[in-house]
Amino acid sequence: MANSLRLYLTCIRNTLEAAMCLQNFPCQEVERHNKPEVELKTSPELLLNPVLICRNEAERCLIETSINSLRISLKVKQSDELENILTKKFLRFLSMRAEAFQVLRRKPVQGYDISFLITNYHCEEMQKQKLIDFIVQFMEDIDKEISELKLSVNTRGRLVATEFLKQFI
Amino acid sequence: MACFERASPALKEILLRLYRDERTIDVDHHLHEFGSVEYYVQSTVSDPDRTYLSISTPILSQAFLISTRLSRYTMEKVKAISADVLEIVEPPKEGYQLTLRLNFARMPHGKESIKTITDIAAVQGVILSSQLEEMLMNVNSQDVAQGMYKPIKLVYHPREPFYVIKQPQKITAVFPMRFKEKTDVIIATTFFQELMDVANSKACAKAPHCIWSPIPPPELRGEAIEDLSTNGGFVSFDITSRHIEGKRLDKTVWNLLNFYAFVKNHVKSTRGFIQRRMRTCLKSLVEVLQKTGLQDDQQIKEVKGYKRMKKLVNFSKSKILRYRSDFTSKLKRIHSRLKIHGFGRFRRKWLSFPNFSSKTKYRKLEKDTSPQHN
Repeated sequence: MANSLRLYLTCIRNTLEAAMCLQNFPCQEVERHNKPEVELKTSPELLLNPVLICRNEAERCLIETSINSLRISLKVKQSDELENILTKKFLRFLSMRAEAFQVLRRKPVQGYDISFLITNYHCEEMQKQKLIDFIVQFMEDIDKEISELKLSVNTRGRLVATEFLKQFI
Repeated sequence: MACFERASPALKEILLRLYRDERTIDVDHHLHEFGSVEYYVQSTVSDPDRTYLSISTPILSQAFLISTRLSRYTMEKVKAISADVLEIVEPPKEGYQLTLRLNFARMPHGKESIKTITDIAAVQGVILSSQLEEMLMNVNSQDVAQGMYKPIKLVYHPREPFYVIKQPQKITAVFPMRFKEKTDVIIATTFFQELMDVANSKACAKAPHCIWSPIPPPELRGEAIEDLSTNGGFVSFDITSRHIEGKRLDKTVWNLLNFYAFVKNHVKSTRGFIQRRMRTCLKSLVEVLQKTGLQDDQQIKEVKGYKRMKKLVNFSKSKILRYRSDFTSKLKRIHSRLKIHGFGRFRRKWLSFPNFSSKTKYRKLEKDTSPQHN
């Protein structure tokens, strides 16, 4: 793993560890309602300052915290058109299957490629440390998968091109 | 790859059936392929050895169209498929460009017959290839207009025209590439860049020189704007004399005619490949998330029931009820006659009838003794 990526992921991990102290908190506006405050943002006193962690201009992570929920938004690097289309395709594919992930948001926050929403209920059902591990591994895997996909598409193209041109020889 | 096969699969199937089967009824088949190719197969019971095959196919270029009939070169090529079996009928049936009389009685036996029928089913490919072959050979300096070589527009498919330009040392084939989706454009563009790299490499030094450009090449100046507006750019192949020598001419012509199909097939299969990779990745990511559950630390073991208990619960319901009634009556008897201190607790612990949710198995939860993270 590249050194800059390791530092970036460690920073995210540490921030998540600090931010993921969620508790049950009913809605202050509507009686008998319990909603993620980070989404509604109705009471400013229940929100913490959002943290923006940037690896570079193209890669960044926004962590927004509230008393009962946490929202993590990721921007994945897209250096060229092929990476751009692969990232969009892949993250859309995952977002459409958000129910398999429980913590994945169907629609990313504006300006980001993918978003997670973790509530206090998720923290009760799952282990906090493993949840953080999952987020970090997800980021690693996405990076790796997109790089591999790009490489595979180029390799396939090269092989097909060679086969096509061989027919003329 | 079925789409690159010269023989029409449907026509081949029909001809094979006609050749093998004994006909009791007249056969009259109309086949349509790719929207613009039409076959008409006709055979009668009275003359089973003779079958008539008529073909209607679009003309590759209007520039070379003298009449609606096929050229002599094309006719010769068609005859060369199998001079014994097929015969060209003059004039062809109305509405068709070519009519063939097939004599199955003269068909060679064994595997040769299947080969011959496959060749006959590829007659449309022969007609198209021969048209392009003829153009490549016949284009001469008469087409030069004010120092520019006039491009010939070839329409193999109505939406996919391409151009052939004869130049002093080479023939340039230019393909304007159009795609419906942006993803297709990017995958195809990546492929074209690879195609350029491979064509310039030493390994393919003898292959035609290939250039991809997002703007139309200067040779196409003056062509209709709708033909030059593309989203995938222009791919040009420089065909030299060595690529059209002898048997290579046929291969080169077929590759040029099928370039669009080849690119589209590559784009489609690449999309499928990406989809498969994404599915695999999704599975592995979901597995990681599933491990985050609290239950993960509690090892769940399926434990087989105790042997005697298994025997006991294997009784039928009526038997169990009978035993239960006997057992309770015995207890009542004990209860009524003797009173032992502490027997009630003993009875509750040992003589009560057990309740089982499962007949043979139960789930045993063993808590992990290792320290938790949180």
